[in-house]
Amino acid sequence: MAEATTTFWERLGLRKASGVGEAGWGQTLFAAVISLIYFLPVLLFIVTSFKLQTEALAVPPKFFPTSFFGLILDQYIFSPTLANFTSVFSRAYTAGAAAESTGFDRFFFNSIFIASTSVLLALVIGTLAAYGFSRYPLRGNDTYLFIILTTRMLPAIVVIIPVILMFRVAGLAGSYPGIIFLYTAFNLPFTIWMMKSFFDELSPDVEDAARIDGSSETRVFFKICLPQVLAGLAATFVFGLILTWNEFLFALLLTGVDTRTVPVALNQAVAGGGIGVLWGLLAAIETLFLIPVFLVTFFLQNQLLRGVTFGTVKR
Amino acid sequence: MPSPHSSGSAVNLEGVSKAYGRIKARNGLTFNVGEGQFFVLFGPSSVGKTTTLRTISGLVIPDEGRVALHGLDVTRAPINSRGVSMVFQSFALYPHLTVYENFAYPLREAKIARPEIDKRVKETAEMLRLAHRLDRKPNTLSGGEQQRVALGRSLIRRPQILLLDEPLTNLDAKLRHDMRAELKRLHRQFGMTIIYATPDELEALSMGEEIAVMRDGRVAQKGTPDELYEAPADVYVASKIGAPHMNLIEATVTENGNVLKTGFGSFDLDRKVAARAGDKVVMGVRPSDLEIAPTKSADLSASVQLLEPLGDVTIVSLGEKADNLRILLPESRASEIKLGDKLPIKVDARTPTA
Repeated sequence: MAEATTTFWERLGLRKASGVGEAGWGQTLFAAVISLIYFLPVLLFIVTSFKLQTEALAVPPKFFPTSFFGLILDQYIFSPTLANFTSVFSRAYTAGAAAESTGFDRFFFNSIFIASTSVLLALVIGTLAAYGFSRYPLRGNDTYLFIILTTRMLPAIVVIIPVILMFRVAGLAGSYPGIIFLYTAFNLPFTIWMMKSFFDELSPDVEDAARIDGSSETRVFFKICLPQVLAGLAATFVFGLILTWNEFLFALLLTGVDTRTVPVALNQAVAGGGIGVLWGLLAAIETLFLIPVFLVTFFLQNQLLRGVTFGTVKR
Repeated sequence: MPSPHSSGSAVNLEGVSKAYGRIKARNGLTFNVGEGQFFVLFGPSSVGKTTTLRTISGLVIPDEGRVALHGLDVTRAPINSRGVSMVFQSFALYPHLTVYENFAYPLREAKIARPEIDKRVKETAEMLRLAHRLDRKPNTLSGGEQQRVALGRSLIRRPQILLLDEPLTNLDAKLRHDMRAELKRLHRQFGMTIIYATPDELEALSMGEEIAVMRDGRVAQKGTPDELYEAPADVYVASKIGAPHMNLIEATVTENGNVLKTGFGSFDLDRKVAARAGDKVVMGVRPSDLEIAPTKSADLSASVQLLEPLGDVTIVSLGEKADNLRILLPESRASEIKLGDKLPIKVDARTPTA
């Protein structure tokens, strides 16, 4: 891509980038401070994940893993440890007992498997549906689209009881297909609306040109339309993934011991036990939990930026 | 009118109608295009030109009427069986594909072997001076280059019929002129039938071997550029063809039936018009058929309101109350005229159409 010529330093604002509307030093600093405030909670638990329980509970909080060549007072320094990360997966539940598996490897697998399968499934179904809504409008097309969105207008807690009953009757409670179908349905409205707006942006002439060039309707969709909305697919995938990845309520009530996802397991791991919250452990789980979504977002970020700014600039 | 299904007819539309909701885009459209002809569909925007082209290509199935190509009824035939290709006003290039892939697309869809595709893509690129642009994506090309890619993509399949939907509208004036010549050259070189839709009368007159003037989804008149210019069938055609536009003057027929009374004075016709005395008629006179007369032989007179010098000619607008008359004068004559001058006008007798 030709426009991605800004260097790392330019992006940091440490070197002048050419072009208009460039932020001055003051503005850059201001933005950095605001960003830091928003990022602070995340930073705090990432730091905590490297602390032992006593240091995690220390007041005032110990923020720094090193003294930065004597700049930081001793009382704010903790000694970083990886103990929390190993005990995410196996630890001794009582003092002196042998370490046993916590099952978190399973829970991480569940989260990744359930979230990615259901988001991909929603993407496939939703993209096809969105193309239909965009290109072959039904009588009352907008009403259908509105009705689809109404399913997401209520808080989950309102519909949770009927959903549980339906899952019981259908025998889907606690199974992979059950929670995957639920999340797929959960992601569909958003996927359809997002993808429809991307398809709406495409020039119908381009598709007609392909028809005249001899393409069947199927090939028009796969060869012409779909490649043009790749950025949209990436953006929709990431947003859907983040929503599903962090979902707690349905997962709590509809997953079983084997299909439990990380948010639910996390809750149970730190709430039970009667010895107070193990902050270091909690933070370690959260930090690990952050990594997969962070990586996906990071690798798709170019597509993502093109996706969310799609249509704002004339191509 | 029963149409002759002669082998000489490349495209034949008969009573074609298509309604979008309650709006009729075309209304019993009938016309015939000869094999190998450069045919122009001319008319203002939203007159149904695009829909007509889309019907011929098969993108639109008409509600009524029939479409025949080379004498074969294709009204409901699939698009890819028609041997028709089309250049869109928006160019409609595939934005995610390079120029090479844009050219290759129709051939790939036709399952042509890869070496042959490569050969033809390179030939086409050479012909359209795009050989150095093959690896580019369309959005990095200039307007003229995009236009040539669109043309090349349509030509590469060697279509028997090429439809051009206002292909030059999105180009600047200089490029438009070059592309007109280029299109004529391509037509001579390949000899395919071209149907060219345009709202620009200059394009229509300069390019078309035959022109159909469209109005409300019908053909108002069809003929060669000369026929349309010299003998427009009605006021609509008269007002659309020719620049500057024909003078259309309201007039009343006097008792004899061969004198027209206008706001500029009376005017003797050398033949009778098909109207009775007292009827209101519209008289059309080409600006180029009017000239300044020696005072005595003047037909009409009016005072100068506006001068528009165009280089070697000047458009002089004359007015008398609400009426307006334009004359085209050579620059040498016009330079003597000042605003407000009262001019005697002589009408070149062969012209007026009532």
